[in-house]
Amino acid sequence: MMIRRHSRSAIFMHWFNAVCWLFLLFSGFALLVGDMQPIGQWWRNLWVALFGERGLLVAHLLVGSVWVAVYAIYILTSCRREVLPFLREILHFKPASDLVWCFRKGLWLVLGPKVMLKMGVDPKLPPQGFYNAGQRMVAVLAVAASIGLAITGVAMGYFSGNVSWALGENALLWCIVVHFACAGVMAIFLPVHIYMAALAPGEGPALRSMFTGFVPQSHAQHHNPLWFASLKAAGALGGETQEQHSNVAQKG
Amino acid sequence: MARYIMLINSEHCMDCKACVVACQQRNGVPYGFHRNWVHETKSQASACGFKFQPGACMHCEDPSCVAACPTGATWKARDGVVHIDRSRCIGCGSCIEACPYHARFRHPLTGTADKCDYCMGSTPGETPACVAVCPMHCRTFGDLDDPSSAVAKIAATHKLVHIVPKGSGARPTLAYLETTTPASLPAASTVSHPVEAIRPFSKVVTWVGGAVLAALAGTFVRQLVKPSEREDEEIAAQAKKTEAASARQEEDKA
Ligand code: HEM
Repeated sequence: MMIRRHSRSAIFMHWFNAVCWLFLLFSGFALLVGDMQPIGQWWRNLWVALFGERGLLVAHLLVGSVWVAVYAIYILTSCRREVLPFLREILHFKPASDLVWCFRKGLWLVLGPKVMLKMGVDPKLPPQGFYNAGQRMVAVLAVAASIGLAITGVAMGYFSGNVSWALGENALLWCIVVHFACAGVMAIFLPVHIYMAALAPGEGPALRSMFTGFVPQSHAQHHNPLWFASLKAAGALGGETQEQHSNVAQKG
Repeated sequence: MARYIMLINSEHCMDCKACVVACQQRNGVPYGFHRNWVHETKSQASACGFKFQPGACMHCEDPSCVAACPTGATWKARDGVVHIDRSRCIGCGSCIEACPYHARFRHPLTGTADKCDYCMGSTPGETPACVAVCPMHCRTFGDLDDPSSAVAKIAATHKLVHIVPKGSGARPTLAYLETTTPASLPAASTVSHPVEAIRPFSKVVTWVGGAVLAALAGTFVRQLVKPSEREDEEIAAQAKKTEAASARQEEDKA
């Protein structure tokens, strides 16, 4: 039995966002020189060789603008349907239990459950809802960083230069710093997200759900018991499932 | 390789400001802004009661404006000239704040940083406007590495003095002949707040980000070699076995 986990539009937005984010992060870092360059001068040289000095800035601004525009449309059109429920979901923190989850999940991955038992740490994870504690943390950071980047990016791109509505120098200086801080924080957390989503053991079905939209019921039951329980309580299980769709298709 | 510098005999300056106007005119600098200047200092040593000191971007060695620019839009070329590429400048103003000579400003029409480039942008290969127009021939411009140039000849026969804003550590290449007033400039900062904060933060991203990547790579390999999921299964199997054994014992007892 499969359960719907992500809508088509959410899946599209996730991958659109991921492609834009990675491009913007990599090209954005390549804009920085000297001590401000976090990766190394070779990184800048590589991107400048591909895009040219001016092309790099233009490409960064162009992709950033498309990203902001598409997101603005998405947020306006699916605010009630998707954006607000998503925000409510990721902002649902239970600090004590979430910390235990992160701690135990980390130890489970790094040391393994046998060593945990020897250390006297219970490897059992606190039950999670639609998103687990780690996903919620990364998601909140990603949303906050995205808002910061979008606002400061638009400010630097469109509220500077030879326009009458250009911001003052001080405001633009702060924009650069905030822009970099948001990108820098996500540069640290994105690898964790990508590892946990694409490479970590047991996450295969969740990764596939970011393409198909569906997870096996057993996976949800095991990884997201609270979500599963709420679906059950709402009588949503056995509703719209992939099997039923394909059954109908076959009969038809 | 050429090494361009400007030499100024400030003792000859009579404060006509022709250099300032000529520069504005040639480089399209809007009214109210200027790429060069003449500082006036009260002095009893002068017949008119003032000493004058023409100046402009000092085209420093290791310039603080270049270090302050996050996007590489300003740089020191190998010929000694500090340039700005307007197409790469995002107008953040970091370099403007970092110049201890206040030689930069934000051009109100382009929105980008602007300053003296020895007229290389407006009239490449020509004598800079301020040099060409000076009635007292105070300013000389040229290639110090070319022994036949005027600057090389003057530099060989005069003591060159530099003016440095107090505490700035600037290393200007623009030089005055023998003496100039004032001999130094008021203290000025060469750091640009808050953009300077990017420097240490960038280090944090490098090291913490690197550590995270290394830890993830290590975890990935560990999970390949010795999957935690298999350990879970082994623990569960072990628990079942112990349970079964204790159940048998109960049975045996009964
Ligand atoms: C190649 C890179 C990426 C992969 C493989 C990936 C994979 C995934 C997967 C599989 C999920 C769904 C997890 C689930 O249903 O339980 C997810 C969720 C999410 N992704 Fe990504 N992602 C990538 C890049 C990004 C980037 C660049 C961002 C944004 C900065 C991002 C932000 C998010 C957010 C906010 C969620 C929802 C909640 C969460 O899991 O934190 N992802 N990602």
